[in-house]
Amino acid sequence: MIYLENIRKVFNQGRPNELIAVDGASLSIESSKVTVLKGPSGSGKTTLLSLIGCMARPTSGRVRLNERDISGLPERFLTAVRRETFGFIFQQFNLIKGLTTLENVMLPSYPSGKKYDLLRDRAMDLLNLFSLGHKAASKTEWLSGGEAQRAAIARALINNPPVIIADEPTAHLDTKLSREFMEIMAGLHREGRTIIIASHDLIVYDSDLVDTVIEMRDGRVENVG
Amino acid sequence: MDFTLSSLMRRRGKNAALIVVYVLIVSLLGSVMFFTHALRREATAVLSESPEIVVQRMTAGRHDLMPASYADGIRKIKGVAEVTPRLWGYYYDQLFGSNYTIMVPSDFRYGAGEIAVGEGVTRAAVTAEGNLMPFFGSNGKMTPFKIREVLPVETELISSDLILMSGQDFRALFSLEKDLFTDIAVSVRNPQEVLTVAGKIRSLFPDTRPILRDEIIRTYDAVFDWRSGILLVIFSGALLAFIIFSWDKASGLSPEERREIGILKATGWETSDIIQMKFWEGIMISGTSFLVGLILAYLHVFFASASLFEPVIKGWSVIYPKFRLIPFVSAYQVATLFFVTVVPYTVATIIPSWKAAVTDPDEVMRN
Repeated sequence: MIYLENIRKVFNQGRPNELIAVDGASLSIESSKVTVLKGPSGSGKTTLLSLIGCMARPTSGRVRLNERDISGLPERFLTAVRRETFGFIFQQFNLIKGLTTLENVMLPSYPSGKKYDLLRDRAMDLLNLFSLGHKAASKTEWLSGGEAQRAAIARALINNPPVIIADEPTAHLDTKLSREFMEIMAGLHREGRTIIIASHDLIVYDSDLVDTVIEMRDGRVENVG
Repeated sequence: MDFTLSSLMRRRGKNAALIVVYVLIVSLLGSVMFFTHALRREATAVLSESPEIVVQRMTAGRHDLMPASYADGIRKIKGVAEVTPRLWGYYYDQLFGSNYTIMVPSDFRYGAGEIAVGEGVTRAAVTAEGNLMPFFGSNGKMTPFKIREVLPVETELISSDLILMSGQDFRALFSLEKDLFTDIAVSVRNPQEVLTVAGKIRSLFPDTRPILRDEIIRTYDAVFDWRSGILLVIFSGALLAFIIFSWDKASGLSPEERREIGILKATGWETSDIIQMKFWEGIMISGTSFLVGLILAYLHVFFASASLFEPVIKGWSVIYPKFRLIPFVSAYQVATLFFVTVVPYTVATIIPSWKAAVTDPDEVMRN
């Protein structure tokens, strides 16, 4: 379970350009379920996702992973939690240009200190799982939209995390690829992983796969259903 | 390390250009350093064989010829080990427009009408061993000398423009009277007494000037320091350009690089992992450039006779010696060069990456 208690996130606090991205959000996200954060642009979905995924610290409030308060952890421990617990799929996939697909997939596993051969085998298994084995040596800028999406999912799974976090994953995909993405998520859900997606795409939040939809507006949680 | 290498290979052109400039700077600075140190060392080594005191006679503030009787007087001074009256001078070759140094060694092994010459002389006069070389004496008469030997290349630093001949030929060529010498070399038994002996010579023969070996060494040191200083001033423009170039390259991260750091952090890299990666990136570029630059400087100085700037540093009047310096590189020189080139670059690479890496990854990505 992930618990958020009265979370507030303010950017540029005390400056003229101060922005309250999340304002007093409290909610709980169940393990092994699919949760969607829904809302228009600027509603605070991505910020809340960053806070859940230990990518940023809340200005106030608490984030608890199971029973552990992770909002106040020092950077080093926060990074370890992020690496071991969460796999991220970003809006524009954020694959690093110039590197091969295989290297991109292996990236999150380098700091684990495991042997290179082991990491490479694991990355190759994932690429084969997503029918990308033949693209392992290709630079990521040569991949099609669907291939880049699958490479990004493979990268999110390299450390075998129990929680998958996806930020607007279908924003740049056509309907066919969006449905394909949801099918992959369904597969990960069946494996028992927790999936948290921020999206305002109907294909995502209207999917049968989704257990909980959290509606957000102006940084506040409007409705949980 | 694998990722660092892949990362570097992505910006192949940019990094290659950086390495080329870097190598050039290191090799230029290294060449100046190696060259001046090796020359100074060589000059000091040569001078260490020279006598402790050279006594010259002065007339009206000018160097004059020395009567043989002075040598007898100096020999009687307590503490003097050996007194050698010497014959040497300069000869201007009108045919080839060259200046030669002519010396009479005490152990000259060839006979009358025969000479031994330095490599530079054979080049300047377009001649070789076994040939006849014409000399015009002070009486205007031409005398041919047979070249019996070309002095070994190893001694060229000091023998390039040198011609060795017998005392008899020297006196005939320059119409020099029998009891006159150019100067007197004096060696002293106890090095501590050099100054005392010099003082005694000066009081015994007030028209003489005793020159100490240590004074000559100090003068050489000052001259080489001054010359290497001139070169460094010339290269300081290039050095400054490199500093600006590397600072610009290293200190400011491009939006793409900031984004990459954000991705790495978001996917579980720690700040220390990123700094380590950037450190290795910096070390690979600066280390490679440093090593290649150092090797080029070494080859340039010790195998190519520092051909790029020998006219400035060696500064021979007409005949430039062609010689190979004895390779000598001290840990101190390498360390100095390392701290001047590698350390600033590595630091300049790490600081902006550290700045980007300590911020929350989502902020880096939003920017």
